[in-house]
Amino acid sequence: MLRSLFESGVFIYGCTMLFLYALLAFMSWRGILHFRKKSSFTDYAQLLESPLTPGISVIAPAFNEGITIIMNVRSLLTLNYTRFEVIIVNDGSTDDTLEKLIHEFQLVQVNFAYNERIVTQPVKRIFKSTNTAYDKLLVIDKVNGKSKADASNAGINAAAFDYFLCTDVDCIIEKDTLLRMIKPFMDEEHMKTKEIGEPCPECGYVHVVEDSRRVIATGATLRIANSCEVDEGVITRVRPPEKLLPRFQEMEYIRAYVLGKMGWSTMNSVPNVSGGLGLFDKEIAIKAGGYDHKSFAEDMDIITRMCAFMIDNKLKYAIRYIPTTQCWTEGPPNMKVFSRQRTRWGRGLGEIMTIHHKILFNPRYKKLGLIVLPYNLFFEFLAPIIEFTGIVYYLYLIITAQVNWHYALILLLFVYLYSVMITTLAICWDQLTYGYYKTWREVISLALMAFLEPLLYHPLIVFFALRGYLFFLIGKKSTWGNMQRQGFGKKKVTTK
Amino acid sequence: MSKILLVEDDEIMPKIVARILPPSEYELDHVSNGKEAFEKLEATNYDYDLIITDIMMPYANGFEILSRVKSPDREKTIPVIIVSNAGNEDMIMEGFKLGADDFLKKPIIPAELLIRVKRLLMKNK
Amino acid sequence: MLDIQVPDFLEPVVNTFRYAPLAIQVAMVFIIIASLGTLLAYYSILRSRYRGYQRDKKLAFLHPKIDNLIIEEVLTNPTLLKDDVPVAHVQLNLEPFQELPLHKKWAREVLTERIIHFRRNVRGNMGELLRNLYLQLELDKDTMKKMRSGHWEKKVQALVEFTSMDMSIADVTILPLTNSRNRELRAAARHAYIKLSKNEPFKFFDVVTEPLLMWDQVELFRIITTTQNIAIPNFARWITYSANKSVVSFCLKLVVHYNQLPAVPAIVKLLETKDHYLRADAINCLGKLRVPDAEDKLIVMYSSQPLHCQIEILKAVGRISSGRHVDFLKQEFLHSTDFDLRKNAAKSLVKNEWTAKQVLEELLATANAENLRILKHCMNPLIKY
Repeated sequence: MLRSLFESGVFIYGCTMLFLYALLAFMSWRGILHFRKKSSFTDYAQLLESPLTPGISVIAPAFNEGITIIMNVRSLLTLNYTRFEVIIVNDGSTDDTLEKLIHEFQLVQVNFAYNERIVTQPVKRIFKSTNTAYDKLLVIDKVNGKSKADASNAGINAAAFDYFLCTDVDCIIEKDTLLRMIKPFMDEEHMKTKEIGEPCPECGYVHVVEDSRRVIATGATLRIANSCEVDEGVITRVRPPEKLLPRFQEMEYIRAYVLGKMGWSTMNSVPNVSGGLGLFDKEIAIKAGGYDHKSFAEDMDIITRMCAFMIDNKLKYAIRYIPTTQCWTEGPPNMKVFSRQRTRWGRGLGEIMTIHHKILFNPRYKKLGLIVLPYNLFFEFLAPIIEFTGIVYYLYLIITAQVNWHYALILLLFVYLYSVMITTLAICWDQLTYGYYKTWREVISLALMAFLEPLLYHPLIVFFALRGYLFFLIGKKSTWGNMQRQGFGKKKVTTK
Repeated sequence: MSKILLVEDDEIMPKIVARILPPSEYELDHVSNGKEAFEKLEATNYDYDLIITDIMMPYANGFEILSRVKSPDREKTIPVIIVSNAGNEDMIMEGFKLGADDFLKKPIIPAELLIRVKRLLMKNK
Repeated sequence: MLDIQVPDFLEPVVNTFRYAPLAIQVAMVFIIIASLGTLLAYYSILRSRYRGYQRDKKLAFLHPKIDNLIIEEVLTNPTLLKDDVPVAHVQLNLEPFQELPLHKKWAREVLTERIIHFRRNVRGNMGELLRNLYLQLELDKDTMKKMRSGHWEKKVQALVEFTSMDMSIADVTILPLTNSRNRELRAAARHAYIKLSKNEPFKFFDVVTEPLLMWDQVELFRIITTTQNIAIPNFARWITYSANKSVVSFCLKLVVHYNQLPAVPAIVKLLETKDHYLRADAINCLGKLRVPDAEDKLIVMYSSQPLHCQIEILKAVGRISSGRHVDFLKQEFLHSTDFDLRKNAAKSLVKNEWTAKQVLEELLATANAENLRILKHCMNPLIKY
């Protein structure tokens, strides 16, 4: 009895998962085709000359980045946009990051009207450049807060514009990123009001409420920069990573962004915007409390809280994704760093599920409570656990010789081929968006990874996720601290 | 013979400028971004009579070129004309603050560019 | 039922399928689907790569040729040097263009694209001459064909081409499209209409019922402000009468751009609107127009406004900089509880510096630590915002 219940449970679970992947693939395909048509005649460059262009604050926390900081800041300062500022938050670096910045950009300390709307570790000094060519640059020097979240919050407090782009100093951002990412914000009606109820008979006053769907965040595809050719902070030639581990990650990123997030975006159910690159509505982010510096998945956490804030206040919102790659990040090159990153993600996911348990399955939170979080609970959080128990159960069946090998092989082959198909489709969609790689060999060699992934890469992910859950359960105070900075910028990607 | 440096990442603009400024009177060098411009300037020891530059370019943008060329440490200042499609008020003001001698918005009128180039070169003779 | 002859080697598979439980049958079907799907994905990856490769090769061959031809035949056309010939009537020498494979549609498309690219860089007589080339090579016929296509994206493309070429289109062709249900097409048609309509380019402001999104406004703004020979109406008309709030808000921005002082009474009237976003826009507009007469009214209404309107009022007082309301700014700076209000009050005080010098000095000497920081922030020329 128990056994058949378990078996049919797993069966239903598996079918739902496969169906969802098919649905995502289909929706993202439609989304990408529409995006392609639209951008074929969209002239993004006109934002450069318009006085109506919204301003954007680019926030990049830096911790001990002395070697590359100058090049990276230079790259941020030359983004194609007119109304923007670059806020570098020096998070108590112990190397010469700040000195280098001061020297290179001719910075002087200024009295800055810093408004601490989100509480952070104390800000020590704020710098501006005396050279007009760098007047977009603002450097904040603060006490180390042991997290990217804390540094980003300080940047948000100092930001002058209504939108902020959150990124990492070590990420390489495409020049047209701001132009492309601000567009979804401008494609929804903003600041519309509606009068409700009858006018007051005495003063004629009618209650006015906000009635517009507000885009609160946009994201774009991230990719692994490991084998790309980079010249002073500009990608000059895209290549899939040569080493196996980063190459698996590239494939995983493409699947998670191009197929996953893009698909969710068409259904307006995006679960998170990557910490490596995301453009946010500042007002909502601050009202939702900013980043949580204790969280291990602060990017998903802030999105969940921003959505909850909107729903609590009966406001309509949307989170959008664009399929083009706008940001390149260094993926963990070896097993040690990789395991730390994934364990951290696992732990972060566990946290999200418990912190926001009030929203989970709560019909008041509509899509957020009934689709986004349950999906993440069942198919992101529980997937490794169910897979693991499945394997254990299987082993038990094998030992007790109850396996119909014939059928078992068929089922295995089915799951294997299906996952290969989904991954290959993701790479195909990615090629539809833009041919990033130069030769077809590079594309095919990446696509062939799909055949190895279920055998080599996937078991690793399951293992590290489980380790993360374990640490989360026993509340292990691990040696994250500043050591963790290795994984500072590497953000959560939906894992299969 | 006047030496002119054109910094521009669009591929068509240099061809047009090369036509507007007759090669018998102007020696035109073209580079396509700020980094190359700096390399070129260093290599020739800033031996140019005029610089025509775009603003939005990779590596180093037009403003940085301006601030370096117009830096007070330079004994000889080279006149700079900005030719850009990013032409809102802030940008133009920023360009002039940094010492730009002229600002032309794309699409340009060829005759206008020629006259402005001539005038600036005359003034600096 | 399953009597179809199966080859021998498939026999065991078919047998398995026949006697397997449903789950296994489904799995077997999906094995086939997944394999086919994967193969299809590989095929389309390779196909799209191959096509892209072909296209790049063609373009690498065509672009230099086109560029040279345009430069030789158009940009260095001798008529450009003569003043007396109207450019519109110049017949270009089309002979050399025959070396391009213009009998092929894709080649014509590339040429059109390239001409547009050139026109984005030069205007004046050269721009006119480029337009002549487009017409004389009859490339407009292709555009017209696209216009008649059933696909919305082709129509949009055609509209973009027509507008970049300054081609006039009959109102009857565009007007129905300005109310199309497809958002992209609707927007493109409006832009084309404003740019190309000879009669009343702003007519659709009267009829438009859906909101003008921010992006639409950016595009419209560019087209309105860059089109030559366009009669700019008094936008007060829509500020007073339009029921579409986004149109009103957009007109306010145009009023600022054209510095239409006659529209001021209509804007002052708009201050009574219940929509606080619109009111904020109106205040912003009055400030940018630097209307000193509006100042008193703004200050009277100040206390009853929501925060973002209050900020706009403070900004407006700074922009107008009449010097008459330094005390008001000082009060707000000293006593307001909201940080942004204090910051904006300080900013506006600094903008009134020509008369408020004494007040500023006094404040610098007496303000508390946080206010001092705000004041110094606003007085520092290195900090823009």
